[in-house]
Amino acid sequence: MSENNTLLSIEDLSVHFFTEDGLAKAVEHVSFSIPKGKTFALVGESGCGKSVTALSTLQLIPDPPGKIISGKIIMDGQDLLELSKKQMRSVRGNDIAMIFQEPMTSLNPVFTVGDQIIEAIRLHQKKSPEEAHKLAVEMLSSVGIGDAEKRVYEYPHQMSGGMRQRVMIAMAISCRPQLLIADEPTTALDVTIQAQILDLLDELQQKNNMSILLITHDLGIVAERADEIAVMYASQIVEQGDAKSIFGEPMHPYTKGLLKSVPRLGFEEERLDTVQGNVPNPLHFPSGCKFHPRCPIGCNDEKCKNDEPSLKEVKDGRLAACWYAPGY
Amino acid sequence: MGKQPTDKKNWGRSYGEMVWKEFAKSKLSIASLVFIVFLFFLAIFAPFLANDKPFMIKINGQWNYPLFRSLTASDYAVFLAAAFAVFQLLLIRRNKKYIEPSIRGQVLGRQVFVNSLIVVIGTVLFFVMVPRRLDATDYKEMIVSGSAEGAVFAPIPYGYGRTDLKIREQPPSREHWLGTDDVGSDVLCRLIHGSRISLSVGFVAVGLSVLIGVFVGAVLGYFGGKVDFVGMRIVEIFMAIPPLLLMITVVAFFGRGLFLIMMVIGLITWTSNARFVRAEFFKLRQQDFVQSAVSLGLPLRSILFRHMLPNGIAPVLVNATFGIAGAIFYEAALSFLGFGVAPPTPSWGQILSLGVSTSGRFLWWLTLFPGLAIFLTALAYNLVGEGLRDAVDPRLRKAA
Repeated sequence: MSENNTLLSIEDLSVHFFTEDGLAKAVEHVSFSIPKGKTFALVGESGCGKSVTALSTLQLIPDPPGKIISGKIIMDGQDLLELSKKQMRSVRGNDIAMIFQEPMTSLNPVFTVGDQIIEAIRLHQKKSPEEAHKLAVEMLSSVGIGDAEKRVYEYPHQMSGGMRQRVMIAMAISCRPQLLIADEPTTALDVTIQAQILDLLDELQQKNNMSILLITHDLGIVAERADEIAVMYASQIVEQGDAKSIFGEPMHPYTKGLLKSVPRLGFEEERLDTVQGNVPNPLHFPSGCKFHPRCPIGCNDEKCKNDEPSLKEVKDGRLAACWYAPGY
Repeated sequence: MGKQPTDKKNWGRSYGEMVWKEFAKSKLSIASLVFIVFLFFLAIFAPFLANDKPFMIKINGQWNYPLFRSLTASDYAVFLAAAFAVFQLLLIRRNKKYIEPSIRGQVLGRQVFVNSLIVVIGTVLFFVMVPRRLDATDYKEMIVSGSAEGAVFAPIPYGYGRTDLKIREQPPSREHWLGTDDVGSDVLCRLIHGSRISLSVGFVAVGLSVLIGVFVGAVLGYFGGKVDFVGMRIVEIFMAIPPLLLMITVVAFFGRGLFLIMMVIGLITWTSNARFVRAEFFKLRQQDFVQSAVSLGLPLRSILFRHMLPNGIAPVLVNATFGIAGAIFYEAALSFLGFGVAPPTPSWGQILSLGVSTSGRFLWWLTLFPGLAIFLTALAYNLVGEGLRDAVDPRLRKAA
């Protein structure tokens, strides 16, 4: 991947939460870069730090208790963490936009959807109210809302979950951001609607040539849509590579476990495999490799218990953090 | 905006319209609102309703207009403010027809700003330009003695400051519908003029308290952490001050004054508003729509007051209506204790305090009528507050 093809790169990002119970290292030494016009997926169980990574990009971490300890988030040669609050505000929405998991609560209940889109448009673009209104209607029909002329005057409570998520997307892309962060965009939706929303994201990506940072725990979504995948476990990336090779040849035992726990067509299985155990508490991470208590190899291995593997290139374009990954 | 009214059909109902429709569903709320409007009407037109000076009178063959000549600067200021309030209401009706919903808020803000500026400038001008005239002429005496004729009096032809010891402490009669007080002033006349004091105390004090409370609460609730810790300690210090004692102390130092009482009530009672707003904002902060507003890069002002406040204002509204009643009570209590507005300026609490005369007799009409006025006003405000809370809360509103 050449440098000028990269839209946003995160380097050595660490985010800690100073809670009353102690220090929670939510994200530690995470680095990755998102190529232009491509979809980058961040996969992992709940609480592994993928949402915190995404929120850090826009500096939306609640502070206190959260704090970005170290790292750089570079976009167009500019470290976003060094920007002033005012500069950061113009990045939000304009360059990077975000859609959230819960469409039921991510629209303001007291304004019409039109108002909310218009406010976003007029904030970043010099447009008269009439132009902004016209654009809002256009945006709504471009995300597949029929009868947008009328819908623009409706309140969020008059719409279904899938429609609200479409409105959210319309709002997010109304300023043509270069990067769209989608934090579990389909988790709260029906399966049929899920596919529609994902297709819509694909379509908009091609039309606007924007990059998408897709955050999900659902490998099924990732398989078809993502160009590149990073698997996160316990606040670190444990495996990274292009989508095809990760699905074809997973290297980290955690990725293997995740893939096994997805139901596959054509296989009669009594019980679906699961990854044993739970996500470790970020207040008390295990020693050595953080995955070792749940790992079929690592649970009996002294090296895994004592030494932590770092993320290394094990093959062309493939990164993994496991002592037993082939090529490590 | 040269928009045709035909466009209106496409516009959905705005937040304000929905709240109003929901509010209007309850007959009790509407009745209370009508009562409050009626009170305001009484207060605004008090000098025309109860005055010992005639509208017009013929003295020595010359027409005189003593009532209009005796209007003070504050009377004119009240008329001006009332006129612009009505004008603003008409403008809101007009806005609904001709202005796109998305910019209505901005337009309304601009109109309110311009109108209040005019009212403030007008008030200052009135106080500078209108001279204070003292007119102690007894026009009724002139009619009786035959030196004047053709007088047109107000419906209640007594002045609130006019004393007549011959008719003191009289129970209600045909001449004095609600009786007279210890110096022979007409109680009904004093009640009508007293409504100005009570209503303005309620409004100004609570307005101040809501302004401070919402601002402090919003900042504390949004930022949290250290800001919240320090802020809440300051709020607690204010809460520890006993309001009535402070008011009495302030009055002792600076003398009796309506303005002072309003300021003190406002400066003490904002804490509960601040705590309500803070609690609501803590809750709202976590909501996705606030996060998404931040992620769109909206300015802090818009996030706090456009997106969060309307969702968290309901408890403050209810509290404010209770607060108006509370402020009226405070003023009544202070006046009852003799620390309120100085006579002859009338206030409801002051009339109430005369119920037990120096001779030890219980004068029921001096207790019942002002007491009833305070009670009904407080009740009406509370009912409006309740209605407003139910109407404002979108969670209670059924999905269409």
